[in-house]
Amino acid sequence: MEKYDVAIIGGGSAGLAALKQLSTLGKQAVLLEAGKKVGVKNISGGILYSKKPNKGRVYNVEDIYGQNFVNEAPLQRKITKYLLHATSKDKVFSMDLTAAHEYQSNFGYSVLMNELNAWFAQSADESAQKCGGGIVPGVHVNNISWDDEKERTIIQTDELDEFQVKAVIAADGVNSEVAQITRARPKFSAVQLYQGVKAIVKLPEDIINETFAIGADDGEAHLFAGDITLNHLGGGFLYTNRDTLSVGAVYHFDSLLDSPIEPNTLLDALLKNPMITELIKDEVPVRGKIDKTLEKEKQMQIRFAVTKLIKTWYEIRDVYLSSSRRKELIKTGKFNSEDEIKSKLSETREKMSSQYGIQFKTDYVEDEYGAKLIPDGKRCRMKKPYHKNVLFVGDAAGRGVFVGPRIEGLNVGIDDGVRAANAIARALEKNNFSQGYLGEYYTKSIEESPYTKDMKEIDKEYLKIFIDATKDVPKDILSAKHSLVLKLMSSGAIRSMAAKFVNVLGYERLLPVIESQESYVKVPTELAERSGKTISSSYTPSIPLLADRIAKLNYNDDKVSHIKVLNPNNDFMKKLVMLCPTKCYSEENGQVTIQHEGCIECGTCSEQTDWKHPRGEKGINYRYG
Amino acid sequence: MEPLNLAVIVKLEPDFSEGNVSYKPDGTLNRNETKSTLGPHSGIAAKAAFYAKVRYGAKISVCSMGPPWADIALQQAQQTCDADVLHLYSDRIFAGADTLATAETLKTGIEKMEGKMDIVFSGHRASDGETGQTGPQTAWKLGFTFIGNVISYDVNLEKRTVVAKCLLTLNGVPNVIEEIEAPLPVFLTIDPSYKSNFTTVSQRIAFEKYQKEAYERARNFKQSLKVFNIDELGVDKTLVGLAGSPTIVYQVERIPKGKATRQAEVFDGSNSEHIRKVVAKMREALSAMVIK
Ligand SMILES: Cc1cc2nc3c(=O)[nH]c(=O)nc-3n(C[C@H](O)[C@H](O)[C@H](O)COP(=O)(O)OP(=O)(O)OC[C@H]3O[C@@H](n4cnc5c(N)ncnc54)[C@H](O)[C@@H]3O)c2cc1C
Ligand code: SF4
Repeated sequence: MEKYDVAIIGGGSAGLAALKQLSTLGKQAVLLEAGKKVGVKNISGGILYSKKPNKGRVYNVEDIYGQNFVNEAPLQRKITKYLLHATSKDKVFSMDLTAAHEYQSNFGYSVLMNELNAWFAQSADESAQKCGGGIVPGVHVNNISWDDEKERTIIQTDELDEFQVKAVIAADGVNSEVAQITRARPKFSAVQLYQGVKAIVKLPEDIINETFAIGADDGEAHLFAGDITLNHLGGGFLYTNRDTLSVGAVYHFDSLLDSPIEPNTLLDALLKNPMITELIKDEVPVRGKIDKTLEKEKQMQIRFAVTKLIKTWYEIRDVYLSSSRRKELIKTGKFNSEDEIKSKLSETREKMSSQYGIQFKTDYVEDEYGAKLIPDGKRCRMKKPYHKNVLFVGDAAGRGVFVGPRIEGLNVGIDDGVRAANAIARALEKNNFSQGYLGEYYTKSIEESPYTKDMKEIDKEYLKIFIDATKDVPKDILSAKHSLVLKLMSSGAIRSMAAKFVNVLGYERLLPVIESQESYVKVPTELAERSGKTISSSYTPSIPLLADRIAKLNYNDDKVSHIKVLNPNNDFMKKLVMLCPTKCYSEENGQVTIQHEGCIECGTCSEQTDWKHPRGEKGINYRYG
Repeated sequence: MEPLNLAVIVKLEPDFSEGNVSYKPDGTLNRNETKSTLGPHSGIAAKAAFYAKVRYGAKISVCSMGPPWADIALQQAQQTCDADVLHLYSDRIFAGADTLATAETLKTGIEKMEGKMDIVFSGHRASDGETGQTGPQTAWKLGFTFIGNVISYDVNLEKRTVVAKCLLTLNGVPNVIEEIEAPLPVFLTIDPSYKSNFTTVSQRIAFEKYQKEAYERARNFKQSLKVFNIDELGVDKTLVGLAGSPTIVYQVERIPKGKATRQAEVFDGSNSEHIRKVVAKMREALSAMVIK
């Protein structure tokens, strides 16, 4: 049997950080990732933060991947403006939260997980190979077993011969199978989770710059609450990437279970909001009707030619409307000048309309649909994030800071990854992997992380910034309970006392007040109605049907289902007919059945099913994530 | 233990994939208009060689006889097998070669390569020729043990032998897999159904490592490429090109399919006497083969 020092299960941002750190410390580690390539299974909003807390330290991306990280990594745009919008029909009331976004922060960049994790992997793999380790993609871990007598920990997978390690890092995400195998924690329950659903909207770089009135490297983040929530607890987001937008909705899962609604309907509610409609709009080609009296073959030829022409048009246009790509292609000699690109573009356009009757209209283009559960660190972080010699990090450990507009899972998981790596490096040196020496040490390190503090209590400084940002909100909108809290918090001296008081009272008791119907729906809706600006949309977006969204996804089908329904007639399962983001469940005669082929592995159904990730290389492959 | 030294012979072929192929009005291939690429069977040979790179850290040289632009076939092969060395034998005199003359050129090239070869790989056949003879003829000229239709293999570095599984397909009989052990050097032609299997973590790590290296090398493939003309190769002019080709291809015809007649006998599976008869018949059909 082969032997390695450390196995890391899962190649998301948390597992990759652990691999990079272990390798930097000269320790041998292998990372096993189920996806065909690192990055294809990961999805985020997402903004990647680097933080500088006043007290204590966190491990940031630059600490692990080098101080030149910002220049080398495939980041999208630096978020320089952060806004919260309250919505009601065509009215929007906006508050500037840039100060909250910049609070204790070095930077925040919009990112796309597929390419970012691939970049992390490249760097971590290079270092790992030097220590006799590396990344093995396309491998699904299905068991860990311990032979205490021989002091062996054995990793079993669907694809490879079993092998032996001294310690394990479980970085297998929110639907962690390692947590089930080790029984280190129960499955997360609905109150501890959010469901996130997201669409990538295509929009050329220059149009983004123009629409948002920003520079080529700047970006914006927009959050939404109010009637776009359709009365559920949560909200929406829109982040600018280089030449796409990330538009998504994040909702408390228990609120969705209380009154089930299709995740794509919540996404659509966002896309239909006139403010968002205007932000995503573009010029879109529309195919002309093909003469049905023509021979079948001729019709087919026209269809192919049109498809090819539209593709060419998009390719040239994407170049033309991106200053960096324009320059690059002129430099490499693909084009001689900007004028040449321009005339090529109008030539193609002319051909499209004159030869094939293609017209152009105002609309928007969606490129990828996705969804995933998010663990709410406030409610589900593991208090003891280990079992024997297995340490849990990131989403697998239920860790993330989600407080109001603060949405941070990536940086938290990266910090965990480094701490787990450090703890294991220390254990390797003493060859001591006992719970006392390894697990407890890691727990202490995690508890010292400022992020853990943020999951446990209210940060009064952050609260002040937030309250300052909402100073224009008419106080009479708020209920007596809310306005009292707000009044108390607005005064410096009392705020400090009050924050202490609520922290003594316990975060858990306060949360239902903060995360309520009133704060997500009622107050923002009324605020927008009363003080909002009217925005009218100049077109009606053609929002794709769910079936079309699914058809655009890239799957590597597995004949065997990775999910087994345990109770086909219980209530939870019946609600999944609505709540599965790709409609894998259906109900007939009171029995729920699954068709696993469209599954995007979000985990929404995992609590009450026999739920595993698909075998290596199988299942969903996100292109953006 | 001495490292393995491998060679792969590959061929530039017309790209028969959709959109890349063009025909003349008479139905024959329009070679000027059709794009060229690494032949699919050559690609499989390169994949088989890559197995030895991953398993045994073998050194791989890929060679081809062809026009100057056949270097792209070598580049594609390098991306598949992480070749250390690329050889292109290119000279007007080589043109018009049949399989025998091609084998002579390749044999000379392989013998010119650094070190003694342990295994030479070739594809099953070319997709634009119908013969599948270049491999066996090169093997014969090199004096190597020839093993055909290889679907998987392993090398015993200590004993310096190869153990290859070969697929035997005989009309009317289920496929048979034959296992052959032979001392190095050997010449393997690789069956289209060849598959590499990596089952341990270390193999998979090596696979990822060499694949990355292959990608980098192929991006700068000219650094590993050496082009030889006839003089540089030092081959006997009378044995290569048109002059060295005894074959005259008159026409390639489809082999007419024999009329199928069925002589079915019905057996009852619950009747033990019938079962005994079936077993006897199977034994009779298989007796002509040696099965390990
Ligand atoms: C819609 C949405 C918006 C978000 N927005 C933000 C944001 O703006 N900022 C922010 O910081 N965070 C955000 N988050 C949270 C953040 O994306 C996650 O916290 C983070 O991606 C988790 O990383 P991870 O490495 O812990 O887990 P994952 O990225 O889930 O990685 C787990 C990996 O393990 C692999 N795996 C699982 N099981 C096995 C197995 N048995 N064998 C082998 N491999 C396995 C999986 O294939 C996967 O690649 C958002 C999340 C969502 C869904
Ligand atoms: S089947 Fe389950 S895990 Fe798959 S997409 Fe539906 S809810 Fe998500």
